[in-house]
Amino acid sequence: MNLNPIVLDLAVLALGLVLLLLEAFNEEKEKPFFGWLSIGGIAIVFVLSFFASQQIFVGSSQLAQFYKADALAIFYKRLALGTTLLVLIMALEFRPILSSYLPAARKNAGLGEFFALPVFTCLGLMWMASAADFVMIFVSLELVTISFYVLVSYMRRSSASLEAGVKYLILGALSTGFFVYGITWIFGITGQTNLLAISDALRVLAPASHTAALFGLGLLLIGLGFKIAAAPFQLWVPDVYQGAPTPITALLSVGSKAAGFVVLWRVIEPFLQTPAFAPKLQLILVGLAVLSLIYGNIAALPQSNMKRLLAYSSIAHAGYLLVAIASWKSGQAPVTFSFYLAGYFLMTLLAFLVLIVVNQSTGGDDIANFNGLGQRSPVLALGMTISMLSLAGVPFTVGFLGKFFIFFDAVKTGQWLLVGVGIVTVAAGFYYYLKVLRAMYWNVAKNPSPIVVSPLTRATIGVLIALIFVLGVYPAPVLEMLK
Amino acid sequence: MITLNDYLLVSGLLFALGFAGVLLRRNIIIIFMGLELMLNAANLSLVAFSRFGIVNGLPNYNGQMLVFFIITVAAAEVAVGLAIIVALYRARQTTNVEDLNTLKF
Repeated sequence: MNLNPIVLDLAVLALGLVLLLLEAFNEEKEKPFFGWLSIGGIAIVFVLSFFASQQIFVGSSQLAQFYKADALAIFYKRLALGTTLLVLIMALEFRPILSSYLPAARKNAGLGEFFALPVFTCLGLMWMASAADFVMIFVSLELVTISFYVLVSYMRRSSASLEAGVKYLILGALSTGFFVYGITWIFGITGQTNLLAISDALRVLAPASHTAALFGLGLLLIGLGFKIAAAPFQLWVPDVYQGAPTPITALLSVGSKAAGFVVLWRVIEPFLQTPAFAPKLQLILVGLAVLSLIYGNIAALPQSNMKRLLAYSSIAHAGYLLVAIASWKSGQAPVTFSFYLAGYFLMTLLAFLVLIVVNQSTGGDDIANFNGLGQRSPVLALGMTISMLSLAGVPFTVGFLGKFFIFFDAVKTGQWLLVGVGIVTVAAGFYYYLKVLRAMYWNVAKNPSPIVVSPLTRATIGVLIALIFVLGVYPAPVLEMLK
Repeated sequence: MITLNDYLLVSGLLFALGFAGVLLRRNIIIIFMGLELMLNAANLSLVAFSRFGIVNGLPNYNGQMLVFFIITVAAAEVAVGLAIIVALYRARQTTNVEDLNTLKF
């Protein structure tokens, strides 16, 4: 079966619109229905994505100038769909907390959009994966960002959520400003908005225009640095992660980062292929990677809140991913960072899923809330253990293999600074990830009653644990998808 | 004769003013105005680049098309942004960024 990949995007768009309309016209309907409908719809599109063929748009078709459907694009579409699927499952679990923070006239009112907006975010992420033109990149990036403004500040009675929303709004709009101004300069210098045409134009660019092109590129990198949460553009990350509803934090940390990296790669690829820009860009990438690695790992050490810990860990992982991009000379960069992101997707979403269930039964996000989880719910404790070990990079987990591929490339291309900083920071990572394990197995819980885990959540945790181990020893299926 | 450089200078000034507003002002609404100014700076330079980048005797319309998208997206951003600021004002009776200090560790 040869499915045109654009059908996947259109199906997600239709699903989002149907959800919104159903919600508007069926006020009395039980709200979990919308959750199940969105989960089912996204799951169907996820399955369909395995029938999508790559070579639909090659040639001179008008759409081909805007829309790329290569292996990388389809891989990131799958990642976006998978993330959204898991986030919607988390949202079902998170419903009671959410409705306690909504100014609702009736019980369960106002929850419908919480299931529709992630679907639109997913659509934006999928368009971003395929974008081959700055107009497309800009519009899809904004579709994601504006949906996130609403989702982050969704809990209108929680001042933490509103505060996180305002911070995300200001810094997100600021990054948009830089990004757009960067696009402007690249357009001004090359006269093109299409990435392929820009690549051609850069090769024959007059040396007098190089400074202006670099200025535009710098602005673009500032804008994208915010999206991928790389230091020194990480200011918003801890506060927004902590204040946002937890499923949305998960969507931010995985979906937004994954799509940010694929766009980053597509945008800088033309510059990396031009000898005049490559060395300078390389220097910037190494700088960003070193800063993110050091800042993320050091700042995570004293954290006592789980969401803040995962926020700093997300900055640190942006650092590892940037190491992969800075080692682009090996020719393997898209494969290594995509594999790492696939692993990051599994282990981070597993951590957030466990966190949501724990938060619901203990009423807090602190590491202290995990005290004695080993006795209270062995399933949750096992899930969190595997996730933390994989994030730290213990062998036989996908986290280890991802780091191994990245450092292998870095050694091959002679990035010794990055290898050195990377290894030291991995060691620092062990300290704060294992702190969570200590709380779960060695500390005693205040309330030792067992925690009930719903069957769907239990099954999801099982699947994620299995995938972390399977991909940790047998990465071939994912690497095959990226060929 | 007004040249491309004049337009770019004005656009750069607008961008710098907007950015300064974001960094220096403490009222969220004013900060938001600064952000919109930055987007409009980009619009101005896009139109200027488009007008002066003649291809086959016509302006390069790609840039002007992008301007329409930027205007539309900026409008959507304002709609959502102001709604969030209003919700914040209802909850906290403030629009000053210095009062946003719940989230600290």
